[in-house]
Amino acid sequence: MSRVLVPCHVKGTVALQVGDVRTSQGRPGVLVIDVTFPSVAPFELQEITFKNYYTAFLSIRVRQHTSAHTPAKWVTCLRDYCLMPDPHSEEGAQEYVSLFKHQSPSVTFPKWLSHPVPCEQPALLREGLPDPSRVSSEVQQMWALTEMIRASHTSTRIGRFDVDGCYDLNLLSYT
Amino acid sequence: MLQEESDLSLIIAQIVQKLKGSNLYSQLERQAWASLQRPEIKLESLKEDIKEFFKISGWEKKLQNAVYSELSVFPLPSHPAAPPEHLKEPLVYMRKAQGSWEKRILKSLNSMCTELSIPLARKRPAGEQKELLNKWNEMGTDEPDLSLFRPVYAPKDFLEVLINLRNPNYENGDSLSFRTHLGLIQVPLKVKDIPELKECFVELGLNIGQLGIDDSTQVPPELFENEHVRIGQKVLAEQDSAAAQQYIRQGSPTALRAELWALILNISSQPEDVLYYEQLKTNVIQHDLLVDSLIYKDVKLTASNDDYYFVFEDYLYQVLLCFSRDTSVLSHFAFNSASPPKSYIRGKLGLEEYAVFYPPNVAPLCFLYHEPSKLYQIFREMYVRFFFRLHSISSHPSGIVSLCLLFETLLQTYLPQLFYHLREIGAQPLRISFKWMVRAFSGYLATDQLLLLWDRILGYNSLEILAVLAAAVFAFRAVNLMEVTSLAAAEAVLADLSTLKVMPLLQIFLFATVT
Repeated sequence: MSRVLVPCHVKGTVALQVGDVRTSQGRPGVLVIDVTFPSVAPFELQEITFKNYYTAFLSIRVRQHTSAHTPAKWVTCLRDYCLMPDPHSEEGAQEYVSLFKHQSPSVTFPKWLSHPVPCEQPALLREGLPDPSRVSSEVQQMWALTEMIRASHTSTRIGRFDVDGCYDLNLLSYT
Repeated sequence: MLQEESDLSLIIAQIVQKLKGSNLYSQLERQAWASLQRPEIKLESLKEDIKEFFKISGWEKKLQNAVYSELSVFPLPSHPAAPPEHLKEPLVYMRKAQGSWEKRILKSLNSMCTELSIPLARKRPAGEQKELLNKWNEMGTDEPDLSLFRPVYAPKDFLEVLINLRNPNYENGDSLSFRTHLGLIQVPLKVKDIPELKECFVELGLNIGQLGIDDSTQVPPELFENEHVRIGQKVLAEQDSAAAQQYIRQGSPTALRAELWALILNISSQPEDVLYYEQLKTNVIQHDLLVDSLIYKDVKLTASNDDYYFVFEDYLYQVLLCFSRDTSVLSHFAFNSASPPKSYIRGKLGLEEYAVFYPPNVAPLCFLYHEPSKLYQIFREMYVRFFFRLHSISSHPSGIVSLCLLFETLLQTYLPQLFYHLREIGAQPLRISFKWMVRAFSGYLATDQLLLLWDRILGYNSLEILAVLAAAVFAFRAVNLMEVTSLAAAEAVLADLSTLKVMPLLQIFLFATVT
């Protein structure tokens, strides 16, 4: 069985960011690379080879057209595959990597692309956590308040603990 | 699992390939043919009988040692798509840095040539050849005029190159933050911390006997030393490289050291090896290289002025001059980030090792080996396995860059006050310890201590112990160093290491320091 290179078109990287804000300061840690296969004939993918450049974890998702009637769906073949054991150091940073068919977690051998790991349910997470943009605006307001208080520093005492001198030591000793 | 199995078969294939071209292979073949005469070898069970014969006669052990030696030296098989330079050094920016460093050296060498109008290499006239052959054993008595030759580079220059190494993908920011490194080395290589070092150097622990500690005069020899020597003799009798390497982690008795090192480095003195050395000697006689004068000057300046090593001056010339012509050293360049320059000697393609400021690493070996060709082999093997990593820029854990970073990280983590104080007075610790590490401490420690240190380099197959020792020395002299107020004063505190005992320092630093 001979192996041939499948012609593919690798698009440029797209950064994943929350919302529309494009900040120059914050750099997203997740990038997406789209790979398309121009040839129409079906093929069995055996191996993916690439050279790493400072990517720590890799996930691969595939969009399949199962039949003419059902719409194409995205399935995850590989999730958070570790390429760099310590992302802050150089180990594995520029290594050549090969991913093979048998590394995917599916059991049925030839159908690795059609029976991959079932997609996790991100909906669960959404119920537990509050909406991030709401939280950030609230935190902003709180921060503005603390700044205001710090700016308008007065010398008047808050006076909570002193009601008409009733906490005077001499008075206390009578109780 | 499939991946590991295919890795293993690839490693096996590579080792078999390498051994097929070796002397051992032809010897085994000869032995197998000769054994056919023996009565116990039967035609029906030929394969098993010959294997049995090899086992009994000790040839299997020799083969085991050869395989073990290859495993220690050869890097892991790489990805089939990886080009050869990736095997040398996976990080592109390190390769580039090494390339420009080499260019600089070559340029300096070439400009020296044109300045002094001396050719890089020339064939000696017959009269000169005869003269050199006559005084081969006493080259030290020569007093040629070497005043015009200057060293091509000093350790300081090399350190500057290492300090300026930057990973283009790593953002440090201009301002000091938690991400910038406080030391001189700015590349984020992975180095071990003390818990990991303790695991790695477990045989140096407090409850394990060591030569260098438990053989001092106050300790009765029955407690450790006698038994250790006995085990060493047994290891030598078995001629087992792997056992020798494990044994030497606790130090080697002086009487057994020469043989143990030869066993670990898998060096056997065959007639072919003596012949090889003679061939190199002939090359030295016939051709004169510019590098020779530099070596000569270097030895004159360093070893011949040293109280311990001056006696070996002649040996040093014999070894180093041959080494600079040894093309088999080339094979290790396949996994060294350096590439040797080539020079043409009157149309014939010659080879010259680029002119390094040869550290006197040969000198301590002279204490162990007296026969030049054996001395030469040991030196060459030590260089090819370990010491070359001290002169080239790479990301290897035993490379000089990692050693520097390991030293600085250890000091910063476990002696933060000292580190901060030295930085404040303009005495970055690495500036002082670099020259120790780049020479593997030779020329700084007393010889017996140095040999104990090099025992551990062989035993653990790594140079990391040099960085640990450097940090331990700073820890030892910390009280004095906290009181100095200038770089010169700090250098003075650390100028004389000749009274230090290496093993107690290492043990205390690794196993007995409160963290």
